[in-house]
Amino acid sequence: MRIQVNARNRAYQYEARAGEKMLLAGLREGIDLPYECGTGTCGTCKAKLLEGKIEDAWPEAPGRKYVKVDQGEFLLCQCVASGDVTVEVSKFVYATDPGACLAQAMTGSVADVRLLTHDVAALDVMLDAPCDFDAGQFVGIAAPGVAGMRGYSMVNFARGTTRLEFVIKKKSGGGFSEWLFTGAASGAAALKGVRLELFGPLGKATFYPSLAKNILAIAGGSGIAGIMSILSRACQERYFEQYQGHIFFGVRSMKDAFYLSELSAFRKDFPNKLNITIALSDEAVTASAAEQFPLLGFEQGMVHEVAKRVMAGKYQNVRAYLAGPPPAVDASIRVLLLEAKLTADNIRYDKFS
Amino acid sequence: MSKKRICLKADVPLNEMRECEAEGGLKLLVANSGGEYFAVQSICPHQDVPLCEGLYDGNVLTCHQHLWQWDIRTGAPMGLAEAPLERFDVFIEGETIYAGSQGALNVGELFSGIADATLAALTGLAKPEEFAEGSTLYKPGDPADDFFVLDAGRVEFQIGRDERTSPAGFMLRKGEVFGWAALLDDHPTRIATARVLEKSTLLRINGKAALKVLESDAASGYLVMRRLSALIARFLAAPGAR
Repeated sequence: MRIQVNARNRAYQYEARAGEKMLLAGLREGIDLPYECGTGTCGTCKAKLLEGKIEDAWPEAPGRKYVKVDQGEFLLCQCVASGDVTVEVSKFVYATDPGACLAQAMTGSVADVRLLTHDVAALDVMLDAPCDFDAGQFVGIAAPGVAGMRGYSMVNFARGTTRLEFVIKKKSGGGFSEWLFTGAASGAAALKGVRLELFGPLGKATFYPSLAKNILAIAGGSGIAGIMSILSRACQERYFEQYQGHIFFGVRSMKDAFYLSELSAFRKDFPNKLNITIALSDEAVTASAAEQFPLLGFEQGMVHEVAKRVMAGKYQNVRAYLAGPPPAVDASIRVLLLEAKLTADNIRYDKFS
Repeated sequence: MSKKRICLKADVPLNEMRECEAEGGLKLLVANSGGEYFAVQSICPHQDVPLCEGLYDGNVLTCHQHLWQWDIRTGAPMGLAEAPLERFDVFIEGETIYAGSQGALNVGELFSGIADATLAALTGLAKPEEFAEGSTLYKPGDPADDFFVLDAGRVEFQIGRDERTSPAGFMLRKGEVFGWAALLDDHPTRIATARVLEKSTLLRINGKAALKVLESDAASGYLVMRRLSALIARFLAAPGAR
């Protein structure tokens, strides 16, 4: 199937395989079509059909509320061309940056599932073929019998890896999350080896050591996943010998916290320039928390409020990475733009949940 | 839009903003900047997000979705923003705020923010022309004497000849500029076909005459040339792209 995309600046043509979503085929070809979630939620990949026929693989996708179906609009991430098609994207579209990891369709199987807290699980996936991704990126994952894909950030960082690690928050009504927690309830072994389809890497809130700026990360809940990948890459490259890292991880209470040992291990190697603060929104900080994790700071409050308090006067040469529930990300953006006066290009996040 | 009542001064407190509906139903964002009132389009030019949900510090407006930013006084894009905001003329009568549309030249990406006298001189050069759906404005080889500013409608471009053509983008926003070869040295002819896709109003401006106006006001001319370079770069694709 030949897809022609008429964009504001020019037209692109590419081939899609049978059954392949139009967005994914374009990204795979190195055309940086507009998207944010890539999984049917955000509506960013809205396009208009000019010629040809398409099929909507997931008409119930939440992002469908952003499209005017009667005017021929549809989501590139959910639709498949039934033959040659011409579509219009009312945005400027460019080629993917040279050197960026190109997204591709991947397959793999569940290698491990373990509970990190009462409602957060770690999922490790073994890919059939190695892939490259950048620290901070995510992939879409489809589980058997669950409609659509769901985006999850990689926790680990390694080039040419076959192992991808994810954090999954339990969410009622969240198709993939329910599939995982229901399956895991009868023992993690029940899920091992289950085949998964993945697409990625996706997302632009990436970290490269060439950044040469101090890092501020504000993460809420499972949003810590992508920040762990950024920390992993930065520590591998000994980035914190030269630049500061200010990491804020917000959870409700100590029973909701995870990765505290892993975060301690990052700090152990760079105690001078890397600081990690756990913000507890719903309970006071106890002496036992500080005793158990002496390398971490603990503060009570919403994570963006805690970050604002601790960061006062420390915003020179800072690049911020934000992740977590959209209201938490919005609250952090407000602090960073209006009070810290960071410029917009130094505030990075991907709103894909 | 002719002058319409939009709201009361008291509706928009100092250094705050409100979405208001003008008589006739058009929604505008009204902002108070240090006691002065400004009216701009209510929806982000990026992705249909209401700008009233964004952030505003009294000078800079930020859309909360992707952090596009604008100078509220000029509508000029800042930081990550790739398009200006359409600005409306504001009139205060007693306690009531009225707004009216500005000319395409004022809201355009190329000329917003230049000196008033220079803008007036350029406006004097602009000839408004109406084009019917389906008409061709120019084709490859035609002389490139004039450039165009879109006031209303939609214009599409094709490059190549005969059956070997490829779409080369389209214009749909008031104030967008095309045919800018007329502003460049040694580009005497058109390299693309420009077709009017729906009934459109365009301002036609002679390139040489415009350059002469800009030469007489080097500061404005420099600003326009900087904007023109950014505009041209936006239409270039990275090498290797198919």
